[in-house]
Amino acid sequence: MRQSSVTARRLAAVSVSLAVAAGAVACGPEDNDAKATSGGADAKPAKGGTLTVLNSNPQQDFDPARLYTSGGGNVPSLVFRTLTTRNREDGAEGAKVVPDLATDTGRPSKNATVWTYTLKKGLNYEDGSAITSADIKYGIERSFAAELSGGAPYLRDWLIGGADYQGPYKDKKGLDSIETPDEQTIVFRLNKPEGEFPYLATQTQFAPVPKAKDTGTKYEEHPVSSGPYKVVKNENDGERLTLERNTHWSASTDAERKAYPDTIDVRSGLDSSVINQRLSSSQGADAAAVTTDTNLGPAELAKVSGDKELAARVGTGHFGYTNYIAFNPKVKPFDDPKVRQAISYAIDRSSVINAAGGSSLAEAATTYLPNQKSFGYTAYDHFPAGKSGNAAKAEELLKEAGHAKGLTVTLTHSNAKDFETSPEIATAIQDALKKAGITVKLQGLEDNDYSDKIHSAKTEPGFFLAHWGADWPSGGPFLAPIFDGRQIVKDGANFNTGFLDDKSVNAEIDAINKLTDLDEAATRWGALDKKIGEQALTVPLFHPVYKRLYGKDIKNIVISDWTGVLDISQVSVK
Amino acid sequence: MSDVLVASQAPGGTDLSVVPGASGARQFWRRLRAQRAALAAAAVVALLVLVALAAPLLTAIEGQDPTTYHPDLIDSARGGVPVGSFGGMSGDHWLGVEPQTGRDLFARLVYGARVSLGVALAATVVQIVIGVVVGVAAALGTRWVDQLLSRFTDIIVALPLMIMSLALLAIVPSGFPRPVLVAGVIGLIAWGNIAKIVRAQTLTLKGLDYVSAARLSGWGTWRIARRELLPGLAAPVITYAAILIPQNITVEAALSFLGVGVKPPTPSWGQMLTAADVWYQAAPQYLLLPAGALFLTVLALTVLGDGVRTALDPRAASRLRVGTGRRRETKVGQSLAAATEGVGGSGGPGGPGGSAGSGGSGGSGVSGGSGRGGVS
Repeated sequence: MRQSSVTARRLAAVSVSLAVAAGAVACGPEDNDAKATSGGADAKPAKGGTLTVLNSNPQQDFDPARLYTSGGGNVPSLVFRTLTTRNREDGAEGAKVVPDLATDTGRPSKNATVWTYTLKKGLNYEDGSAITSADIKYGIERSFAAELSGGAPYLRDWLIGGADYQGPYKDKKGLDSIETPDEQTIVFRLNKPEGEFPYLATQTQFAPVPKAKDTGTKYEEHPVSSGPYKVVKNENDGERLTLERNTHWSASTDAERKAYPDTIDVRSGLDSSVINQRLSSSQGADAAAVTTDTNLGPAELAKVSGDKELAARVGTGHFGYTNYIAFNPKVKPFDDPKVRQAISYAIDRSSVINAAGGSSLAEAATTYLPNQKSFGYTAYDHFPAGKSGNAAKAEELLKEAGHAKGLTVTLTHSNAKDFETSPEIATAIQDALKKAGITVKLQGLEDNDYSDKIHSAKTEPGFFLAHWGADWPSGGPFLAPIFDGRQIVKDGANFNTGFLDDKSVNAEIDAINKLTDLDEAATRWGALDKKIGEQALTVPLFHPVYKRLYGKDIKNIVISDWTGVLDISQVSVK
Repeated sequence: MSDVLVASQAPGGTDLSVVPGASGARQFWRRLRAQRAALAAAAVVALLVLVALAAPLLTAIEGQDPTTYHPDLIDSARGGVPVGSFGGMSGDHWLGVEPQTGRDLFARLVYGARVSLGVALAATVVQIVIGVVVGVAAALGTRWVDQLLSRFTDIIVALPLMIMSLALLAIVPSGFPRPVLVAGVIGLIAWGNIAKIVRAQTLTLKGLDYVSAARLSGWGTWRIARRELLPGLAAPVITYAAILIPQNITVEAALSFLGVGVKPPTPSWGQMLTAADVWYQAAPQYLLLPAGALFLTVLALTVLGDGVRTALDPRAASRLRVGTGRRRETKVGQSLAAATEGVGGSGGPGGPGGSAGSGGSGGSGVSGGSGRGGVS
């Protein structure tokens, strides 16, 4: 399904790109806006002022066709409205999909292969002209143009004729599988049942683009806003972005975005330690500053948690993400389930978590799915290792597998300094397995090399550190790319690293994709995860926890489980 | 660095021809012993080498090892900061523990000394062997051989050390023993200067009477090189080696800092610095320990190297005094240097002329320091 290595990298870096691309959503009834979690959030949020966003990664692709976001992004979502969007609420509620430009989250028919949306009335662009369903169709079509690539692969995979469509510049006729019977209605025809289509419709490709204003690759410099803010300045390819109020946006059509500040000033290209230093000192304009892409690291957390004032200005969130050990069962000795199980038993999750930044930055994982309701989280621990590993049980299994004298294996990891697939984690695993008589040699690779190697069926190592984050908070994009046997890619980017091709698993994935009741689907994904877990193709290690500082004047902190980070559409600085 | 070398080589040529051989060694020790700073530095270096060699013993006395995790000694909820004051220093963990892992810092520091010193020494040996072979071969070979080797040496000198090391270390398969590889890479890239010095020194020696006499009496090139030239090369080579070692230590640290040095869990000071750089506020001792160890080692080796140079070559040292407590040597050197300049006139080529300028500025500093009585 995913064929480009760009996609691979994007997914691998979801935690980072979320901050940039995805991000912020939050909302909810006015009266409970100020959340208890926030330090300076006691006062009622009010309009006005300038919100500063201090980021490390610039908003390089600010074209809705090119952005790869989870749920429409944090900064992009201020400018681009989409058919559906994230529910801007704290915690699990925020992992729900809600209508945005459309009146509902979509009406499925024909076994979830046809999805129909009706636009709200009174929707306008920043120039006052009306938003029509044809503009949404055009926006999606231009994301198929080669020069505007970068978005998620789903549209190409799901829409009838999507695989061959070249975009509106080359193919003037357009894509027949998107119909606009009138100015308010848009119909999508898919080549297979996809009950999770409403989640996909949150991505920026579903933002309207007026055909007359399309300037191709230059559109990103001044995209036509449908949201509460418009771009007034874009310097150095997204390094500095200034957003001001779009006076033609109407709060009455938008239940999700609060848009309290008058101006949003996004400054990127900053070092992460500089960002955290500026947020902690919180002086001048930095008092009204947030970051949408920089977490607190372990050392910074140690410093912040010792200071009451700073500790009160930390937002904590959970993004659906799992760090794990992956096995390639084609490589000996990992073809033997007993060896994989032995390693599962021997793992010391507390030392791994410490290496990842400690219990405040990571939660132990025994399931592949993230520990969130929207993913259908179903607790299981098939190979209980306890807090610090069950070396005795591991040794017993190794003996049964014919490795009574111990075993030497090579663990492949990245040399990136990310506390995810980095040497610290690998060393912690090495230390834990030593107790079970397993000698681990470490093979550290440069990050790009590592990413290429583990995602190629030909070069995939036998035993390596991996992570996965979903494009939306559901079991589908979490399990299907990794465990669907039909998604094994022989040449090109392969994500089914365990080469699992189990008919019953494939059939269950198809069956769940037909469900349009997302709660029921979640339950089934959870059960499927539990079943796949028995094969010990992965050893789940931990789910990361995001902690981010925000400035003294920031009020109305909303952090959803969808993004795990503070939603800037909800923030007030007055 | 390079102008220091250039300076030491030319005057060394005239000087060393007078003091090679066994009596030179005795003279060397006498001169070295006269410098307190150099002696102190030598003691520090000896201590460091001893600590590195005795690392297993020392950690056994402490009852720790460098790789065992101690999750109970860190505060997991606070990012893994060590529990207790001064980074968890205690009778069990003399220098505290590492954040996030709880590994014993004393054990990691002393084992890290093995890597830092070992790699630096090995790299220096490689540099000297290549440098001496290439330098002597260039000086004694035909014009073509000299041209070829000298131009090749120029290319090696022009290579940016860090960038080349990074590139080389990144492409070698990770199965190769890392400390050996790091030492080899540093050694193979940074031998250019020593080759140049050896060539220049050999050319000087070649023209001296005793070498000519040897040649006239029918000795072969190889025998002349071995018996007549190498003893004369000892002084500049030892001097340069003393400068190279601290330089190599910092290069190893930098490479490990950049993630291409030795692999975890093997501790090295550079690697400790990398891990510690973000902890400077929350756990300062974690950063200060490897940084302090590196600083002390490099300082001690540099002072010792300076002392060795002074002892081997008092005249040159007098011109480029760096202020390491030479007293009597200094005075002798000054008068000698003055004499040389007076007599030699245009004898010195361009190289030492440049260094005389820097010697002048250093001279005023030393004259203040050398006010105390002479050494008996």
